Amino acid sequence: MSKKVETFSHHLRGKVGYLLRLEENLKTILGSPEGKPEALCDVFVIEASYADFAGAFAASLLGEFGAEVVKIEPPGGDPARKITPWGVNVKGYGIPYLIESRNKQIVELNLKSREGLEKFKKLAAKADVLIETYGPGVFDSLGIGYRQLSEFNPGLIYVAISPYGHYSSRAKEFSKMPSTDLTAQAESGFPSLIGDPAEPEPYNYPLKAGIWAAWYMSGALAAAGALIALYYKRTTGEGQMVDIATHDALPVCNGWPIVSAFTSGKPRDRLGMHDWLFPYPYGYFKCKDGYVTIVTMRNEDFRALLKILGRWDLEDDWKYVTDRLTDDLDRINVLARELEKELQKYTRDELAKKAWEWNIKSARDRLRARGFPFVIKGPTFKEVLEENHWKQRGTFMKVNINGKEVIVPAPFSRCTETPPRLKWTLRE
Amino acid sequence: MKEDYFSFTQRIFSRDTVFEKPEALNGIRVLDIGGFVYGPHIGKVLAQFGAEVIKIEPPFDGDAYRMGFIHGRAWKYSSPLFQCVNTGKYFVTIDFRKPEGKELFMKLAQISDIVIENFRAGIVDAWGIGYSEVSKINPRIIYISCSGYGQFGPLKFFPSQDLIAQTASGIAFKTGFPGKAYKLPDAYGDHLPAMCGAVAVLAALLYRKRTGRGQYIDLSQAECLIRIMHDFTYISVTGKELSNTGNVDPTMSPSGIFKTCDGKFVALAIATDEQFTALLKAMGRTDLATEFESTFDRLKPDSLMKLNEIVEGWVKTKTEREIIKLGMEYRFPVARLLDDVGILDDEWRRERGSVVEVDDEMYGKAVFPGPVAMLHKTPGRIKWLARPVGYHNRYVFKNLLGLSEEEIKKLEKKRVIGYWDNVPGCAPPSYYNIEKDPIFKHGSVGGKDEQES
Repeated sequence: MSKKVETFSHHLRGKVGYLLRLEENLKTILGSPEGKPEALCDVFVIEASYADFAGAFAASLLGEFGAEVVKIEPPGGDPARKITPWGVNVKGYGIPYLIESRNKQIVELNLKSREGLEKFKKLAAKADVLIETYGPGVFDSLGIGYRQLSEFNPGLIYVAISPYGHYSSRAKEFSKMPSTDLTAQAESGFPSLIGDPAEPEPYNYPLKAGIWAAWYMSGALAAAGALIALYYKRTTGEGQMVDIATHDALPVCNGWPIVSAFTSGKPRDRLGMHDWLFPYPYGYFKCKDGYVTIVTMRNEDFRALLKILGRWDLEDDWKYVTDRLTDDLDRINVLARELEKELQKYTRDELAKKAWEWNIKSARDRLRARGFPFVIKGPTFKEVLEENHWKQRGTFMKVNINGKEVIVPAPFSRCTETPPRLKWTLRE
Repeated sequence: MKEDYFSFTQRIFSRDTVFEKPEALNGIRVLDIGGFVYGPHIGKVLAQFGAEVIKIEPPFDGDAYRMGFIHGRAWKYSSPLFQCVNTGKYFVTIDFRKPEGKELFMKLAQISDIVIENFRAGIVDAWGIGYSEVSKINPRIIYISCSGYGQFGPLKFFPSQDLIAQTASGIAFKTGFPGKAYKLPDAYGDHLPAMCGAVAVLAALLYRKRTGRGQYIDLSQAECLIRIMHDFTYISVTGKELSNTGNVDPTMSPSGIFKTCDGKFVALAIATDEQFTALLKAMGRTDLATEFESTFDRLKPDSLMKLNEIVEGWVKTKTEREIIKLGMEYRFPVARLLDDVGILDDEWRRERGSVVEVDDEMYGKAVFPGPVAMLHKTPGRIKWLARPVGYHNRYVFKNLLGLSEEEIKKLEKKRVIGYWDNVPGCAPPSYYNIEKDPIFKHGSVGGKDEQES
């Protein structure tokens, strides 16, 4: 069977055979994690997160790379077990908890009792990393804060995840205030950027991101911070405190709100479907049977899109990127109405196929001036699950929870030497 | 007397002594050959904590993200968004497609620890600078390929980008009310996978420190986004799709963004039983406690909507300030909504060091995001902002590779290395006299004297 491969890049012209051989090689060296060592097998992590998935995600990331993770839960279990979409659970365990309890040993410990504290101190004496989300000053008042623990374990990396961090005036003022993902998103400026003010109430309200954007970002930052501290520890033997603020994780990581407000002096407007950075069209567009995503970054890409849709008559007015900047919505909406009407005539597959065929021709074109309009079919969640590409890569894994088979996402990266892996979920 | 916890933390995290403290990743050399946000953001995180990150761009027009302007407006002839992901790096240019360029890159790769690329799958291999080539001359290298769909599988050659990864993972259809789709702002589909990549690189770095072995990492943008979604597990448990739910967080009851009586908005989401009890007390509706006792039942769509209606009515009677105060008093999670300016002017972020005022030699005083995580012994820092295309050519090639002025001139003539096109984003600001800059002109801080001696 001959394998027909089409690429979008003139750089790859004439090299596809070589690349396919390389790919075969890659598949074998990246494919299965079996028999390979683990990057963090010498790292002992204690996760003391309480109804907070930022801490849980950070510990999961370290656990996937081989760290031994012990999750400390209060008697009766972490309330995080019951944080789950529409209350759906598998034998009392919520869905996010199923996903994030991977590779962890779960231990119930009463930190309010003397006995529990002694056990905790014993564990902490051996630990490399402690991740806690109880808020500033709570562990300190129990006698297990960074000050006390670092006295008998100077190599300890104490990762504190809290709404406003463990220092600064606001952290002190709001030290007792609990936080969830939505409140963290709100103070990170996400809702002020999402949504369409032109819609009727309440659809015109600022909108939250549909995922735990702030919690997961904080978790990733915490894991990165912990590993940087760990690298320093492996060099000098010294531990330290790592501080993450969930209400600050998004702006400090992407920086857009900060630099945008600094350079323009005013907040960005909510633009509905449009983007601040990229010229129109850039976003999700409704067609006959769902959504397509269209990205046209350059002049030639947009012209190609007009050719594909058979609307070359629009070319004269909208030739340049500068014509399609989104700072004047009234102007852009003139073009948007035209294009959206046109897109309604096609199905997702038709549009994606048209763009694909154009791009293949374009990649073969010696002048390279035909443009690459990206038109991607917007899949439903079930279609993502069924996608052959993810199946071949093993993106989804099946785990057995008390006799019930459940699909969970696999670790995110493939490595030749020390691949992250999912060893088990839910072990008590 | 025991020191107060907050004065202790304030002391150890003090912003005044940041530049006197050591750096965790000192001595790590990183080659960052990608573009836009996804790859370079990994380099930025490493640079903040002391790694020597060399950003290699194609000559003349450089990284296409240099033209990434909000609404097309430049700041001091540069893009602040580009500056954001490229603080503290060295900027050199190499044309990989020329044999001399490949040779130059290989020389750099031989003395480097990490290579980060985010081209489409296969391109670095086609140029002959992929892992298969680099590992031959430097087996200790950690090479991370960041692509949308990964390096193997039927879709591997497909191009990707923030929005395309958001689509491919399905995350695109999570935000907004049913029947609408909004993208996640601020390149979330680039930044989260980049942070995942940073975690993978740091884990590989720790492994190398222990065993001396390098490795190849294949990072897929869409896979990282799939990793943080609950939808697929939800489908496998219930057989139904979760889809988008507007301002309701289906994992928390009640939850949403509500309008206050002074026309502002607050976000309120209750995750645990104790927070729920606190909210009921604050609302004076403890009578609801028995009806909504079980957490799982409270989360069912009907009860969630019912609770949301009650909360909406209650919030309408209060001002934003009153609600936040009640949240503090009774301890339930509630927060104000901030916009860009609100974040910039938020005092605690400056105290914390996540909004930092920098005084850059080229761009003057500016405000930029600080390090992604606060480490008290080895704090991250912003040393300088981005530089024009090819600014550090002489600095890097002379000091690291020992090239002479003649050899560099020869490479310039063959257009293997080069400098900026005179367009916003690539060129230095017009007020800056680049000809008098010793780092650009001679590749050394000391300038001419060092050259003559």
